[in-house]
Order: sequence, then structure tokens, then C-alpha cells
Amino acid sequence: MRGLGWSFFTLFLLYLLLPMLAPVVYSFSRLWLDLLPEGFTLEWYARVLRDPKYLEAASLSLRIALLAVAINILAGVPTAYALYLWSDRMGEGLRRLLQVLPLLVPPLVVGLGFLLAFNRPPLALSGTFWIVVLGHAALGFPFFFRTVYAGLAGIEVRLLMEAAQASGAGLWQRLRHVLLPNLLPAVISGSLVAFAISMGEFEVTSMVAGFGTITLPLLLFQSLREDFRAASAVASVLLYTTLLALVGLSLARRR
Amino acid sequence: MRGERFLILPGLLFLLLFFGYPLYSILERSLAAPEGLTFARYARALTAHAYLEAWHNSLVFALLSTLAAVAGGLFVAYWTSGLPLRVKGFLMSLYAVPVSLSGLVVAFGFIVLLGRNGVVNQLFAALGLPRFDLYSWPGLFLVFPFYNIPLFALALIPLLETVGKGLMEAARASGATPFQAWVRVLLPALMPGILAGGSIVFAGMMGAFGTTLALTGFAKNLLSLQIYSLVAESTFDLPQAAALATVLMASTGVGLYVLALWERRYRR
Repeated sequence: MRGLGWSFFTLFLLYLLLPMLAPVVYSFSRLWLDLLPEGFTLEWYARVLRDPKYLEAASLSLRIALLAVAINILAGVPTAYALYLWSDRMGEGLRRLLQVLPLLVPPLVVGLGFLLAFNRPPLALSGTFWIVVLGHAALGFPFFFRTVYAGLAGIEVRLLMEAAQASGAGLWQRLRHVLLPNLLPAVISGSLVAFAISMGEFEVTSMVAGFGTITLPLLLFQSLREDFRAASAVASVLLYTTLLALVGLSLARRR
Repeated sequence: MRGERFLILPGLLFLLLFFGYPLYSILERSLAAPEGLTFARYARALTAHAYLEAWHNSLVFALLSTLAAVAGGLFVAYWTSGLPLRVKGFLMSLYAVPVSLSGLVVAFGFIVLLGRNGVVNQLFAALGLPRFDLYSWPGLFLVFPFYNIPLFALALIPLLETVGKGLMEAARASGATPFQAWVRVLLPALMPGILAGGSIVFAGMMGAFGTTLALTGFAKNLLSLQIYSLVAESTFDLPQAAALATVLMASTGVGLYVLALWERRYRR
């Protein structure tokens, strides 16, 4: 029985690891025509780095992800704090809502909703940089909120804030100097989750983006058909980004 | 501290503006006509052959994928939770990768491995086996557990840690065979977690289209792809897309509601 279990588990690990390794191996190999790749090369990365199209997309993706994270921090941290103090029915209802929201409203619906809602004044954002930023912020919000909320449960928030209030600190000072430093690991974790979501996001972006907002995943989608070699380098870079974010996440959790 | 409840405002405003208002716009546009209301788009969504087929395909695909994820995820969660602490910690970090990885990277990986000239098909050809077609329903069924099994396992492992071990030992000590212990003791105790994990997978599968689009384009008729093609292709028709999106959300909602009712039976 155990032997059979181990062989199934090994098969599962291969199934998990090989599709992640494939883009990386492909991106470093000169040729991959037969069973195994041949020759080590950095040429495909160089091709991507020399092409301003890819560099612009990378910088755009980075800016969008950072802004989406910033919006999540501004909207999410106060809300998580307020809901944490608010332990009655309305608070519970909102928490439940934030749990089912990403299930009931998939990225497809977020994208369509944004297209329909923000195409007329006062919020005519269709095809702009900001509609992508806000779309990514919306996708990340439930996950950011969940992480920060879980972090609040781990510290004595009420006690800390009451002590600070008793010693005369105003609300902003308490949020800035008491809540945020104590909550920092959770805020960093939540930010990394939101960052990873934004960097790899394709579905909403492809629906709301204009010609001026070609992010890295959108470019990868084009390259899948046009330039498979460049695609391998872009796919690998996206994979490295996710891995870095997750390593950061486990470091933040350890503290 | 009661006075600080106003801090909920930024989040509330965010939710209203970026979830409430877009959802309202979807509903409004799906019903709007030059003069008053129309249900014509819903009538089309529920009668046109292509849409009905898409709806049917999406439901079957999501249900089968969920069953596969539950079966695979149960095994993976159980096996992982029995490993030493450090290995388990590493594996749980590993399971987080597919869950947060861009669907396009995954599509790329599977194309390299299982595409027409992929490694596996070369191996199959050398062994005289028939070629595996990644760009088919079986191909899609092979790709999606890559997300769904880790997603389900991550949702189940915490519950398995708290209730699983003790129950299994108790059941075995009172003379149950491993099979009896699994079916009569462990599975009922895990049922809330299984249904919660299943809900996440089912809902995700109903809405997913990125990986499918990268692999098979518009060749497979799914509700999510129908909506996307009405938004992004030459068949551009946002009000019809809005009606289909409402149908999609209603279907997911009914599925989640049934699962939640089922889950309630196990919570005392």
C-alpha cells in the first residue's frame, strides 16, 4: 500500500514540477527538437532584453502591480482593522461577502463589469492605464484583505490601540506608529499576494487594456503564436517573479 | 474604539465602486433597450443552440474537474500531512506556486511537454504509441488539475491536521480496517473541508478562460469563452455578453449554494 502511495505521489510531484521546469529549460537551451534540449544559451533572454517592446511591457507590469498593491494597502488595512473590531452581524456579513466575492465574481465578470461601468463620464477609463491598475486592485482585494485580517488575529490589536489612545496618540498616529508596524508581516504577505496576482494577470487585462497598455502577460500571449523562443524567456521571467514573491511570503510568515 | 468604525469607509467605497457598480452595470446593460426593458438577450442566452451547448459544456467540465480535484486533492493532502514537518512545509510552499502562477506560463509549460512536437509525444512516437492531443477535451482535463489539486489540497490540509490523525488512530485502535476508517470516520469528518475546497475549484472552473484560450483558442465551446469572444472578437456585443455573464454567475451561485447547504448538514 505504502509503495503504491509513494509511486502515485511521485507521479503527482512530476506532474507538478515538469510543467514549471519546461519553460525554464526551454529558455536556456539552444535547440529542443528531440527528446532532450541541446546547448546552453542566454540568447533568448538577450533577444527579449534588446527589444524595447518587452522592456516597456515589463516596466508597465511592474508599475501597475505596485500601484494595485498601494491601493490595496490604503483601502484594505483600515477596513480589515475596522471589521476586526466590529464583531457583530454586519461585520460578519461583510467578511463572508469578501470570502465568496472572488468565487461568485470571476476575473471574466470583473473585466466585463469594468468595461461597461467605466466607459462613460465621470469615469471614462476604458483602455487607459488606470482601468488596468484598478482592475488588478479589485482582483487582489479579497486575498489581500484575508491575509491582513488573519494577521490581526495574531496580535493584541485592541490592547495595543487602547494603550496608545490612553497615552494620548491620535488616530492617525496610532494607525501609523502602532498598528502598521505590528501588522507589517501580514501587510507584506498580503502585498506579495496582490503583487503576484497582478504580475501574472491575463484575463481582466486582455479585456480592459488598450493598445497603450500591453502588459507582460499580454505580450506573452502574442509571443505564444509569433515567437516561441521569446515566449520561453518571458514565461520564465513571470515564473521567477512568482517564485520570488512566494519566497518573500514564506520569509514574512516566519518572522 | 467604537468611533473608529468609520475606518471601514475606504474599503466599503472600494467594494461599491469596483464590485457593486460594475455588477450593477452588467445587469443594467443586459436588460436595457432603447425604450425601457428587454429580456430578448436572456431569451437568446437560454434558447440559442451555441449558448446552451456552451452552458452545458461549462457545467460538465467544471463538475468533472471538481471531482478530479477532490479525488486527487484528497490523496495529495492526506499523503502530504503524513510527512515530516519540514518536508510538509516545503511541499505546501510548492503547492502555492501553481495556484498563483500565470495561466499562460502553465499553458507554455504544457505545450513544451505535451504539444504536437512535445517531449512526451516524441517519447510516445519512439515507443510506437499513439500521439496525445493536448488541444482537445482530454488535453484540457489533463492541464486543469495542475491548479486544482494543489488548490484543493491547500484548502484541506489544515482541517486534516486538526481532526484527521486522531480520528484515524482512534478508528484503527477500535478495530476498523483502513478502508472502514477512511469511509466511515475520516471522510465524514473531512466533509465540510471537502465541500468548501470543491466550491473553490468549481467556481474557478466556471469562470476560467485564460489557459483554455492559450491552448485551444475558441475551438472549445465554453460559456466563459463565449462571453470573452463577445467582448474581444469581431462578434462584439457587450449587452449580450452581460446577459451571458449574469447566467454564468447565477449558475455558479446555485452550485455554491447547493454545496453550502450540503456543508451545513455536517456542521453541528
